[in-house]
Amino acid sequence: MRARIIDRQDVPLLIDLLRRDHEVIAPFYGRGRDTAFDVVTDENRDQVQLHLPNPYYPPKRYVLPHMQRLMRYTLGAQPAVTSDGEARKRAIFGIRSCDVAGLFMLDRHFLGGEHVDVYYKNLRASLFLVNVVCTDREQDIDEDCFCVCADSGPAARENFDLQLMDLGEAIMVVAGSAAGEALFGEAIFRKATQEHVERRRAILAEVRKGFKKATSWYGATMRLISQGEVSDEAWEEVGRRCLECGGCSYVCPTCNCFTVTDRKVGEKEQEVERVRLWDSCALSGFTRMAGGHNPRKAVHDRRNRRFFRKLAHYYVQRQLSVICVGCGRCVNVCHGDIGMPNVVEILRRRSLEQGTR
Amino acid sequence: MPLSAHKLTTCTFCGVGCGIYLESAGGAITGAYPSMSHPANQGRICVRGWHVHEVASSPDRLRKPLIRRNGALEPASWKDAYDFVAERLTAVKGKHGPEAIGFVTSPRCSNEEAYLLQRLARSVIGTNNVVHGLGLYRQTSIHVLRDMLGIPAATSSISELAKSDVIVVDGIDLGKQLPTIGGWVIRAKLAGAKLIATGNRGHRVAEHADHFLQIRPNTDVLLYGAMAKVVVDRGLMNVPFVQAHCRDYEKFLLAIQDFDVLWAAAECGVSPEAIEEAALTYARAKSAMILYSTGVEARGAEAVQAIVNLALLTGNVGKAGAGIMPLAEHNNLQGGCDMGMLPDFFPGYVPVENDAERRRLGALWHAELPAKPGVDLGAALGVNGGAIRALWLDQHDPLRRGAEVDAEMLAKLDFLVTQQMFTTEVSQYAHVMLPVVAFGEEQVTYTSTERRIQLTARAVEPAGGVVPAWLQIVRVAQRMGAAWEYESSAEVMAEIGQAVPAYAAASYENLSREYGRQWPCTIDRPLGAQILFESALPAKGFRFAAIERPAAPPRPPAEYPFVVVLGRSLYYWHRDVLVQHSETLKREYGMLLLDYPEGFVEINTEDAARMKIRDGARIRLVTAHGSGETLARLTGEVKSGSVFIPFFLQEMTRALTSGNHVEGDGQHPLFVRVETV
Repeated sequence: MRARIIDRQDVPLLIDLLRRDHEVIAPFYGRGRDTAFDVVTDENRDQVQLHLPNPYYPPKRYVLPHMQRLMRYTLGAQPAVTSDGEARKRAIFGIRSCDVAGLFMLDRHFLGGEHVDVYYKNLRASLFLVNVVCTDREQDIDEDCFCVCADSGPAARENFDLQLMDLGEAIMVVAGSAAGEALFGEAIFRKATQEHVERRRAILAEVRKGFKKATSWYGATMRLISQGEVSDEAWEEVGRRCLECGGCSYVCPTCNCFTVTDRKVGEKEQEVERVRLWDSCALSGFTRMAGGHNPRKAVHDRRNRRFFRKLAHYYVQRQLSVICVGCGRCVNVCHGDIGMPNVVEILRRRSLEQGTR
Repeated sequence: MPLSAHKLTTCTFCGVGCGIYLESAGGAITGAYPSMSHPANQGRICVRGWHVHEVASSPDRLRKPLIRRNGALEPASWKDAYDFVAERLTAVKGKHGPEAIGFVTSPRCSNEEAYLLQRLARSVIGTNNVVHGLGLYRQTSIHVLRDMLGIPAATSSISELAKSDVIVVDGIDLGKQLPTIGGWVIRAKLAGAKLIATGNRGHRVAEHADHFLQIRPNTDVLLYGAMAKVVVDRGLMNVPFVQAHCRDYEKFLLAIQDFDVLWAAAECGVSPEAIEEAALTYARAKSAMILYSTGVEARGAEAVQAIVNLALLTGNVGKAGAGIMPLAEHNNLQGGCDMGMLPDFFPGYVPVENDAERRRLGALWHAELPAKPGVDLGAALGVNGGAIRALWLDQHDPLRRGAEVDAEMLAKLDFLVTQQMFTTEVSQYAHVMLPVVAFGEEQVTYTSTERRIQLTARAVEPAGGVVPAWLQIVRVAQRMGAAWEYESSAEVMAEIGQAVPAYAAASYENLSREYGRQWPCTIDRPLGAQILFESALPAKGFRFAAIERPAAPPRPPAEYPFVVVLGRSLYYWHRDVLVQHSETLKREYGMLLLDYPEGFVEINTEDAARMKIRDGARIRLVTAHGSGETLARLTGEVKSGSVFIPFFLQEMTRALTSGNHVEGDGQHPLFVRVETV
């Protein structure tokens, strides 16, 4: 393991190092308990937090924006198309392991197939990830987190450039890429000792006990869904609690569906921009086809789509993991309390009641 | 807050007033997401809220004032536009008098706009012809709640639903109209609360109800009366509460004797056991909340009175988890009323006929104020109207709303000024159009359905010199000679605090500290009040209403076997202009209109099967007045024996009612025959 140690008070200096070449994004407090990723400036630099609730608005938006202009074009006698150009270099400081796992899934989706999404690629290529391991049971770990079930945390194994872990008396920094390791020449870094490594192991072992929610029937639910053994009644029970807001898709680190539309720019008829927007299979119109047919018109047909996409063997094989990172955001965002853990529980309970084993 | 690109604001769609953050970049709003800490929504918003950022950045907005010259609207300077408006209003006032001018806000206009517009009408023009929402929004709740409780607003808060043992949801599809509150109700039910749903339509939240009383249209007074009678017969009333805090109990008791449960059940179309069980469930609750809609599917005063009676009878006011929540389906319906956009009330619900209060306000506004209540502007602009010669419409298009306003009347006005973000149907009749800023471009306040006065954030600069609506009103007033000096919206709020006692301490500084403040927000209670009357229930401060048992609503004759329900609340957002400017919202709300391109009328699935009508089939509706054709939409949500006509079928509605039908008139329901074509 390529590991170094820095002092706690040197964390802002590490951010400054990154600010030399990147726009650095880091987590800050908003109102009350709200937290968000925002740009680090000279003014707010001192208020970057190492330990705080995971920002709700997911960092996937730095590679797949909520609303993204793809191109502009002008109609008329001299039509022209302009793309929005290269993305500037960005570093996300403080991205959690669950979100790192989510980004990896988006990478496989947008970059790993035959067709490479160039807009995603531009944003992703210029992104430097500084993962922070969740170690503080009061601040970092929400009562709704379950990354240990999804095997995505609390410490990411890969797909980051640097990983920070609070050992108490000092911060361990692990390099996950050549770009990360390149920083190790700076003065703030000193070598890690075997003691530090032991300390890290001990903390990780302890921290795992801090997760209150355990969707321990993930495995059974995956099997039931994959084998089509979930009854209509079970999905209807879930569907009755859904108010079709789309929130589960929007906050989910692994959800990536989008819609595209063209809009006038300003008042001129001739100037148009093409924008890509987050979309959600929770919404009825998502599957409505020209002509009016809608294969997932009923709400429970959309609910079963979501959980199939997250847990079925078909997708797990392609992704090499369950398509849920256990971040717990869907638990927070849902009006009817049908986030992943509760749905896993509903399906488990019903299968027992039905005698399906 | 160290956040720079993120601003906490409140959503401006419905009356929940969810806390939402707007993220901006490069001078545009690029994202939106919920606040986890906000007490009203705690991390959740609805599909509309998730798309506010799209609406704000829409390129279709109006950017320049327009003045109609030679029949066509032409761009003009702001100066010319203000001068023109001031000059025309002065001219109409001079020729026809102040009573010939009307002022209308949308229930989505800010407190600052509403306050200033009614001040312009009253202290500059000299008329009380003001209203929020033309002809659609019955002021019944205001009058009834003022009379019976003393305060025309929700007595409790949204988050209190988590503490309720019993929740009654009356006549509203929460999942569509106020989803965040729908979520609170569903979660309360999951945690063990009992849920009672009443009304003539089924809906998602009603699917969770322990007791769903799907009653015939216009029978709710009977239902609530029968429930109250059950409570009284079983001796389940809260005697100490009634004795200490309520007047007119004996009159109420006398009147309630006539509400026989068996008779009521037969008229309502539900079983007497259902009524009894619902009543017992409600009465036995430690704390119970009633949520009812103030939307236009709401009915007459007696229905609201019957609801309040039940709450008073059982002592469900002034304690945790209990109360009466009149739900505002628009973000500033409550605020617009608080600010006095009402023909018979000044700001703060002071009757215009109250001499002392009128003089006090007159002193604040340096003018003598009119004592005569304003006219019903909706009726005045309907087919039988004519007295109004000039009209000011602030972000409200009555032609889109299916109101009784007649387009011909608008065409005949001497002067019409509109403040709009986008061009809509009414624009073709406007003499002046003033563009307004969008959500996220101004800092103003809105008051939610739980009395929460909240600030919006100014996240980006308005494009192209567009000015906030409130400031436009100030400029026109100044041109008309008024010595108004407001440098900022905060100063407007400071004056509101002087005019409206419940807003006295609601300065922008106070409002920006946490999540706004729930009024009354006064100097000695600057943190506001979550539950009204919690600190002190007024001695004999509440009043029962003695409701005479109404005659049973007439049954449909054989010739016209269905009762019509005219629905304005349920599909309101489908025609809302803002929804058209988000790709996703346009798709979601537009689907129904794509699936049924000629419009639709909803019929119960079983009724349709009996008549051999399939979904999407062409049908003709025939009443004693006229007929119209449309497509049938089958749904189990509509009660058998009734037909639901969405408000946007305006021509159909006019044909069937010959323009004379009054909302919520239980004694003269509209009956219809359905024919296949």
